Amino acid sequence: MAKYSYYPGNAARQSCLEVEDTIQPMASSLGIQLIEMPGYSSDGGDVIKQSNKFLQLVLNARNFAIAEENGHDIITACASAHGNMSDALQRLQSDANLLAEVNTTLEKTTGKNFSGEIQTHHLLHVLVEDIGLDTIRSKVTNPLDMKVAGYYGSMMQREGFCANDDPFNPSYFEQLIEALGGTPIDYDSKTASVGAPSLLTLDKPVMQMTAKVLSQAKSAGAQLLVSACTLSHANLDSYQNKARKHTGKDTNLPVIHLSELVAFALGYHVDRFAQLRTRALVIGG
Amino acid sequence: MTIVAKVWIEEDCITCDACADICPEVFDITDESSFIIADVREDGAFNRNETKSPLKGDLGAQLGEIIIEAAEACPVEVIQYELADSGQSEVTEEEAPVAEVEIAAAPVSASAPVVDGALAGVMEGERELVIMFGSQTGNAEGLAAVTAKKAADYGLQAKVVDMDGYDLKNLAQVKRLLLITSTWGEGEMPDNAEALWQSALSASGMNFANTHFSVCAIGDSSYDEFCKAGTDWDEKLSAFGGQRIHDIQLCDVDYEPPYLLWVNEALSRIACVDESGTFQVELVDSMKEYASGSADDVADDGDFAPGQIQQSDMDITFKIFRYDPATASTGWDEFDFSIPGHATLQDALLAIKGQIDGSLTFRTSYVTGTNPLTGIKANGRIVMADTVRVVDLCSHAMQLKLEPMPGHEVIKDLMVSYDEWQQHRLKSKPWMQSEPRIGDRLPNGMPMGTIPAAEATALHAVGAVMSYQLVQGMSDCYASDSKYRGPGLNLLEWARSLDPRVGSKQYKTIMESLQTHGGVWDEADLSSLSRHGRSGQIAADSLYDARSRLLAEFKFIGRSGRLAKNYARSVKASGNVNETTLYRSVLGPFGLASNIMNGVSLRMLLGFTRNGGPIMRGFQGMLVPPAGIGKIPNMFNARIKNHHEVVAIFNEVDTRF
Repeated sequence: MAKYSYYPGNAARQSCLEVEDTIQPMASSLGIQLIEMPGYSSDGGDVIKQSNKFLQLVLNARNFAIAEENGHDIITACASAHGNMSDALQRLQSDANLLAEVNTTLEKTTGKNFSGEIQTHHLLHVLVEDIGLDTIRSKVTNPLDMKVAGYYGSMMQREGFCANDDPFNPSYFEQLIEALGGTPIDYDSKTASVGAPSLLTLDKPVMQMTAKVLSQAKSAGAQLLVSACTLSHANLDSYQNKARKHTGKDTNLPVIHLSELVAFALGYHVDRFAQLRTRALVIGG
Repeated sequence: MTIVAKVWIEEDCITCDACADICPEVFDITDESSFIIADVREDGAFNRNETKSPLKGDLGAQLGEIIIEAAEACPVEVIQYELADSGQSEVTEEEAPVAEVEIAAAPVSASAPVVDGALAGVMEGERELVIMFGSQTGNAEGLAAVTAKKAADYGLQAKVVDMDGYDLKNLAQVKRLLLITSTWGEGEMPDNAEALWQSALSASGMNFANTHFSVCAIGDSSYDEFCKAGTDWDEKLSAFGGQRIHDIQLCDVDYEPPYLLWVNEALSRIACVDESGTFQVELVDSMKEYASGSADDVADDGDFAPGQIQQSDMDITFKIFRYDPATASTGWDEFDFSIPGHATLQDALLAIKGQIDGSLTFRTSYVTGTNPLTGIKANGRIVMADTVRVVDLCSHAMQLKLEPMPGHEVIKDLMVSYDEWQQHRLKSKPWMQSEPRIGDRLPNGMPMGTIPAAEATALHAVGAVMSYQLVQGMSDCYASDSKYRGPGLNLLEWARSLDPRVGSKQYKTIMESLQTHGGVWDEADLSSLSRHGRSGQIAADSLYDARSRLLAEFKFIGRSGRLAKNYARSVKASGNVNETTLYRSVLGPFGLASNIMNGVSLRMLLGFTRNGGPIMRGFQGMLVPPAGIGKIPNMFNARIKNHHEVVAIFNEVDTRF
């Protein structure tokens, strides 16, 4: 069984509890053991580093130290969390002086120390590279049988952050959707930002960016959009009416999380999946 | 064995401890500088050893190699030493009176073209050519380096000379001079040329009768004072009695074609100035023939030519964006084409244009790697077409999707217009507006700005991106907001604000510009920049720094300030982010009303696409009290385990929250 220290991110146990509902059974079915990180904190998102980069590094180093105490790499289902953690990890692992400085503060305030040994992974990359598409395919009991577009976002689509997938022209989501019995839909803006970090501060531009992703996916034939980022999910889901009003584009499209997609195909929450499928096929959004 | 006879410290030591860490027997760090320890010196003094007192006994032999190691490790290169016997001191470029780079002349060897008769006469003796540059962004400096390489083809020994710190009197002794300079701002000299220009203005009695010169001026015709710095120098050198050997060349933004015209003619002529300083005009044609025939031999005879990694041919499907301005129609063309993997993207486009479709339009560069305007979007990456290799773009699939640079108006196919960029840049007035500082004056009394070496290094690192225009195209947000200046222009302004020579008035103007609409807060997601390789990472890091500075100076005002403050407070209060309180404190009552009107709150409340989850989960977003009043309310989410650790981190690192 593959063991990971589980980092839920800023949303899975706050505003997106459906992620928590689905990731646990999904992981269990696929032989992934999600080990709790006791006392983990927010990674700081894209926000704390705007006022203090060092503060964000120390907060992340504390989480990394907790994962090290667990003895296992980190897994998260949020592209934003993965991007932020990977960025912090890269800086700490590539600069011994910085790591020492961070550890000095960490030890003084928490008694913890981060040796720099662990890695962080996004669920999508673990599913494709570690679990394997053949294994996943063999566990599918409720094939998607829908046209599904994957949304990667920009946060984790960086060299070194997205495993062996191509940062700018990725295909892991499409391969996974196919393995789950769906028809993958490709579209241009699948790695474009929807402006999630500025959802509360910038109105029109963020709505335009959100509408662009939704309308492109829908124009390409998608009946369902799946987000690899629990943070961007708020833009794509809760704000899609507002995005439509601002741009006049057709943004009406059901949006779910990656963990939901896999759990549904593996046979969990059959009623929810039936409701989703009905809405997607009958109502459209 | 290496024996060091003397070691001393020049000015501008930054007391970084590197030398003392490596060689504590010789170096000791004080508050003001590294010092040479008394015990190792014959004079027994403890200071920087400006008098160059020798090392005692055989210490120079015992510690020679480690002293040199310390000198090489010095980040600001202020450690100087003299080797025993040689009497030769190691002086870095920074300490030299003039920073210059020697470019070897083409050796006249058995394999070089035969030179005889009158041409042989002119090629004999002293062949020094001084190439002087005035450069603000590096373009003129780059052209000076290219010119120096070309000069070797003409049998000239080129010295590239930075105008900064150059003594005008020495210029009068130069027989052959090519001057390349850009113009900055409204007809101003680049920063590194200002001091020399001021001394030229105040100079009298100068005699440049033995100096043959030509000037290449780079500018921007959208400015009223197009190429003024170059024309000023051209007139001044002539007024001093210099011999203009070739007319000044004025170059616009796309400077490479006119530069190439100028450099070939100017070098052909100036190479015909013989050792006595006489211009032998009748030999110019012969010199051109000699230079054209010697190019290959120069490379064979030791002139450095970088190795090229050969890649096998790749069969690639090119999908290229097309735009026809005559009919205002857009579409995509697909070509299957075979090309060596080591070819640049520009090579591939030229091959397609030459062999398949002559109407394909794109920008090209004549001197590889120098033209930021060749920017293009290739398989999602923002790259310079004249630099990036095809093999590096097609590592995952044999497809290459080419689009024009995002965020700029498309003129035709892959060619975009940078006019809007230039207009925005003009409005931002990014050139330096310095203030005189006490003690910092030129010999003629004119005020000047100064910058310590360490600060200059940091300043250059901020703007060490491939090009600001490329950074502009990396944003996913720029095209969605007509008032946003874009990350490239904001980075340009931020870099300027960090320059310690900038006056307080300009600094304040820049800060206000970056803080208000169009500035750094209008970038919706800096991760769209940081994923574009090293340049993108540098740009994003710098803009995060800009935001930190603005939050501190403007006291967390506006939505962005409230988000930063309350997000941090939320994490400190519970260890996690509370979206409810963030929504309320950042959006305020009007923002929340907007969300209600636009159906956002309803979707949150009902959890419409939350697939059957409990309806109360969404209810949190609708709770009172009203937005933005008073302190952040208690968290709804429970505090994390060991929450006191997070509080301790905040209290240790940043007490503002």
